[in-house]
This record gives sequence, structure tokens and C-alpha cells, in this order.
Amino acid sequence: MTNFKVPVWGYWLMGIGLAAFIGLLIAYIRKNRGFRRPIFASPYVLWIIVFTVIPCLLVAYFSFTDPQGNFTLDNFKTFWDSNYATRQSLGPDALKMYEDMGLSLEDLGLGRSSININTLVFSLWMAFLCTAICLLLGYPAAHIMADREFRLGPTLVILFVVPMWMNFLLRTIALMSLMEDSGLINSILEWVGIGRQKLLNNTAAVQVGMIYNFLPFMVFPIYNVLNKMDYKLSEAAMDLGCDKWHVFYKVTLPLSVPGVVSGITMVFMPAVTTFYISRLLGGGKIQLFGDLIESKFLSTSLNEWNVGSALSLIMMILILLSLGLLNKVDPEGEGGGMV
Amino acid sequence: MEEKRLIDLENISKHYDGVTVLDSINLYIRQKEFVTLLGPSGCGKTTTLRIIGGFETADSGRVIFDGKDISGIPPYKRRVNTVFQKYALFPHLNVQDNIAFGLKLKKLPKDEIARKVDYMLDLVNLKGYNKRDVDSLSGGQQQRIAIARALVNEPEVLLLDEPLGALDLKLRKEMQLELKSMQQRLGITFLYVTHDQEEALTMSDTIVVMRGGHILQIGSPKSIYDEPKNAFVANFIGESNIFSGTMVRDELVHFCGTDFPCVDSGFGEDKPVDVVVRPEDVLLVGEDVGQVTGTIKSVLFKGVHYEMMIDAGHSTWKVHSTTMQPEGSRVGLAVVPFNIHIMHPMEEDAPREVEAE
Repeated sequence: MTNFKVPVWGYWLMGIGLAAFIGLLIAYIRKNRGFRRPIFASPYVLWIIVFTVIPCLLVAYFSFTDPQGNFTLDNFKTFWDSNYATRQSLGPDALKMYEDMGLSLEDLGLGRSSININTLVFSLWMAFLCTAICLLLGYPAAHIMADREFRLGPTLVILFVVPMWMNFLLRTIALMSLMEDSGLINSILEWVGIGRQKLLNNTAAVQVGMIYNFLPFMVFPIYNVLNKMDYKLSEAAMDLGCDKWHVFYKVTLPLSVPGVVSGITMVFMPAVTTFYISRLLGGGKIQLFGDLIESKFLSTSLNEWNVGSALSLIMMILILLSLGLLNKVDPEGEGGGMV
Repeated sequence: MEEKRLIDLENISKHYDGVTVLDSINLYIRQKEFVTLLGPSGCGKTTTLRIIGGFETADSGRVIFDGKDISGIPPYKRRVNTVFQKYALFPHLNVQDNIAFGLKLKKLPKDEIARKVDYMLDLVNLKGYNKRDVDSLSGGQQQRIAIARALVNEPEVLLLDEPLGALDLKLRKEMQLELKSMQQRLGITFLYVTHDQEEALTMSDTIVVMRGGHILQIGSPKSIYDEPKNAFVANFIGESNIFSGTMVRDELVHFCGTDFPCVDSGFGEDKPVDVVVRPEDVLLVGEDVGQVTGTIKSVLFKGVHYEMMIDAGHSTWKVHSTTMQPEGSRVGLAVVPFNIHIMHPMEEDAPREVEAE
């Protein structure tokens, strides 16, 4: 790894660019005697085009082409059958030869393999589990923090925020050292007499890491909605005959649906594309779909980028579909059905 | 109005962080009575209402409802319903489900709920609004839904916390009349909180004037307007000229440099008193025949009458009259004895406790 040093003229260039941009802004504001939205939106539009739209189009392009740039559906066939590409590269003649030798594809380990699909299903399951547990843990936490009579609420909110200022890799590595065979948790377990347990390198460890990292994304949207809710609504419900449980079930819960929806979205999306947590806490034994895509892009084989793009595209479509479904849960109109 | 006492507040006190909000309040409310708690913000009127509703608990004292102490009973078990200041309609429910909220909790049969909801919508003049979204309604309509949502539960007492505060003047006046006629038709006890003295005068059977956690005066609108017990009540209920004076002897009071004959007695001789004269009770007469003379400082047209500020040397008088005198002209002022109200001077910080009726 080499450190890239910004040359002196680079700083000058950045300075001139910034000055030009500010000058443009001032000129525009003077001319129009006030602020207009489009001019302020333009940097973001540019950002979205460069960093979102073009990459998406590239992903789509790569997933439908082979390394030579010809249109093909092979990448998707590889998703369905992970040995498809290998068989293709061997060619029909070679396969015929093996067949003549009396070796079946299964004997060669080249038969239909659904590793990719299984990985995707496993990732979806892990993400679902993570989202569900985050919701079960996060909703009560948000509810307690938003309670008007709970004076420690704001302090708790800050305690939830502070860990988020740290890089998630750091947090995960810290978690790893806590859960090590000789780590703090195991020391405590031994001290209380339970004895050391194998905590790392299994599915549960990966799940713990995901929940630990994504829980704040569930808590805050729900906390925001609950915190902004008019407490008079709870009083009105009590006035009309609700005890505490009915207030929650008939008023608080339906009104917090938007927060829950956005919490689910914000946890499920990063959870389903997770790739580093699984490697650190799973000890390389547990592969999620994110790891699979990563390995395709880090691979030196010729057509792996194209396969990786196809996998990414499938993932994106799945996420879009689930988001669309979530948005169908109209909190304004449908929430009434819950009562 | 019946004689039966429905609610009795006995020595209710409430403190927040060392500040006394209510100081030994005693008050009773009769069945089918329209009682208004009137006072400036911070006088404790809303706290009183919330204690009756069950949203606050008094530090000391008892709330007697229909002969039973309900101090420890939670809101959902009380036979009262509240119309909240900013309506507090449930935004996730439509008009019908908002009104049916309490009935559904009581597990009434569906057809009965539907019938009652329709009856209430008819009562508040919003027939056919069943499926409307509450956010799509105007302020006045939301107000009506809030009233319907409370009334449909057939409470024995309806508590209203400045329910008309957010409406414009014209709508507010209409709603005042509607609320009053609704109360008379349904025969429900209303306990109404407002800082608007005109609202209180228009609707109430009984007005309770409060200040600083104390009840200053309880009485019918007319008795409170005509016979305010002290300068604060006089000033809060309608406009007033308030002067410090001396009671020379029975039926003669000295203020603004002149002796005025009056009808009050029993204050003793040469005792300091507050004198209240309503602006509409001051007569403009010729300079030579007035009890006091002065110069017109300003004239304001107020619609029905003119409001004139008159400088009479050491005092300033506010006068309402349908005839106008030009600014700068000299006039004489006269007050007939019956319209001079004498009251004990009030210490600013410690308003005297006034016995409940």
C-alpha cells in the first residue's frame, strides 16, 4: 500500500473550485434576490448521478454481459447453478470426454450446485432474525426513553448515540475481543462457575454482531415518532376508557407504525448486505450473500465481476421489492384497521 | 338546574416543584349546572379540571363525586369525559372511529355504536362525515368531533378545557351558543375552563373566578358582573375604572377629590376602599353640573359605542358612550349612586380567601 500524497497544485485547484462555486452561488442569489431551491439541489443531483445512478447502470450492464462485452444471461444462470460457469469454461467437448470415461458430473463435483441461492436464503434469514430481534429489543427501549416521566430518557438517548460515532469495524473488532476464548465474557463466565464457552465462530456470534451494530437504527426512528407524539392523545384515550395497556395498543402502537416501518427498513437493508461482520465473528466459516459478492469482486478470475454484478442486481431487486411492500403499509390509512 | 351536588372539591391543594398551584380549593358543582372556571393563565383552573378528570392527583384534599371519594380512581374509571384544548383527536382514525372509540371499549353491539355515532354527528351538525379523515376537517369541525367523541359516552360531567380557544371570533360565538343549548337539551353537567370573560358570561350558570390558586368569587354571571367582590374580579370581568378612595361614612365615599353618594354601607368610617365604576355607567354631562370635570384625551370608535379616555386632573376615566365628544373638549362626569361599587382593598400578593357561596 502506498500513501497517495496530494500535490501542492491539488490544494490550489480545490481552493479555486470552492471559490468558484461560492462565487456562482452569490451571483445567482444576487440575481434572483433570494434563495431558490434548484441551485442548492444541483450538487446533490450531481452526486446522485455520479455515485448512484451511473454505478447502478454499470452493475446492470456488467450483469448482462460477458467479459468481452457481449450480451449474455450466463451470469444469472451461475446464480441458479454455481457450477454453470465452470462447465461452460471446460466446454462441451471436455464434458463429453469425461462422460465417455464413465465419470458423471456429480463425480467431478460439477453437478448443479445451489450454493449461491442457499447463501442468499441464509442471508435473508439472518437479516430477518436480526430485524425481528432489533424490533423486540428496540421498541421497548424507545418507548422507555420517550416516556415523559422518565427523567433519564435523554441521557439514555445520548448513550445510544455515542457508540455510533465509532467506526463499525472498530466496534465489531472490540466485540470480537470481548467474545474471544480468553476474552472478558469468558473470564466472567469462568469466574461465576459456568466455565468457558465457545462464543465466536458460529452463527450466533454473527447474529450478535449484527444486532449490536444495527440496533440504534431501529431505536431512533421509533424514539423520534414516540417522542413527538402528543401526550394529550394518551390522556384522551384514558379519558375515553382505556387502561394503560389499551392506550398502548389502541393509540401509541398504531401511531408509531411509521417509525417501526422506517426502523425495519434501516435495519433490514444493511443486515441483508452485511459482509464484514460475518467474516470477523464467524471466523470465515459463515458466508453471507454480501461476502459472496465481495469474493466475486476480489477474485482474479476473468468473468467473476460479471457474476458479482448479477448477484448485486438480484440483491437490489429483492431490497426494492421488500421496500415497496413496506411502503404499502400506509400508516395513515391502514393503521385504523388495527383498532 | 337541580339542587343535588354532583362534585365536591374539599380543600384541594397542589404543588409543582415547590410552587403552589392550588391552595385549599373548596368548590361544589350541582347536577346539570354549567360551571365556568375563569381566570388568567396560571390561576390553577386547568389543574382543577385535570384533578377532576383524574390526570393529576391533588397533594391534599378530596374529590367527592356523587357521594363517593374518587381521589384515587384512574381516569378510565371516572364517569366524566373531557374535551381537550387542542382537541386531541386520534389522527390514525376517521371521524366515525374517533367518536366510537369509547363505545368500542365498552364492547357495545355494532349496530348500537353506529346508531349512537350517527346521532352524535347529527347533534353536532356534521351528518355524513363518518368516513372523513380528521386531519381534513377545519378547526371548528374538529372541535365538534371532539365534543361528540366525549358526549357519546353519556358522561355525567363533561369537562371542557378552553375548547374554543383556537377558533376565530365568529365561530367561537356560534359555538358558545351551540354548547349552551346542547348542555340544556342533554341535561349534562358542564365544567368549562376559559380565560375569556365574555365566554363565561354568555354560557355559565355559575362562574368561579380564580387567581393564583385561590377562588376569588363564585356566583351567577350577573352577580359577578354587578357585584364584584374586589378590584381584580371587577377588572377581569369586563372593563372598569378602579380608584382608591375613602369611605367617609355609610353611603358616602370620597375619591378623585370629591364626595360621591353611594348605596354601600358597613365599611366603617374613614376606611380605605377600592371604588369600581364601569365605563358604561359614567355619564357625560355639562362641565358645570358634573361631579368631576375633565378633558377628553382620546376617542376610539368601538362599533356600538365610543371609548373615551378623560383626564380629570389626578385620575383618568374610561368612558363608554354612544355619543361622541371631540378630543380636547371639557366635560363633566357623573355617576349615579347605584353604579358605584365599593369593595375592600385587595393586597396584591395574597388574595383573600372567599368562602364558597
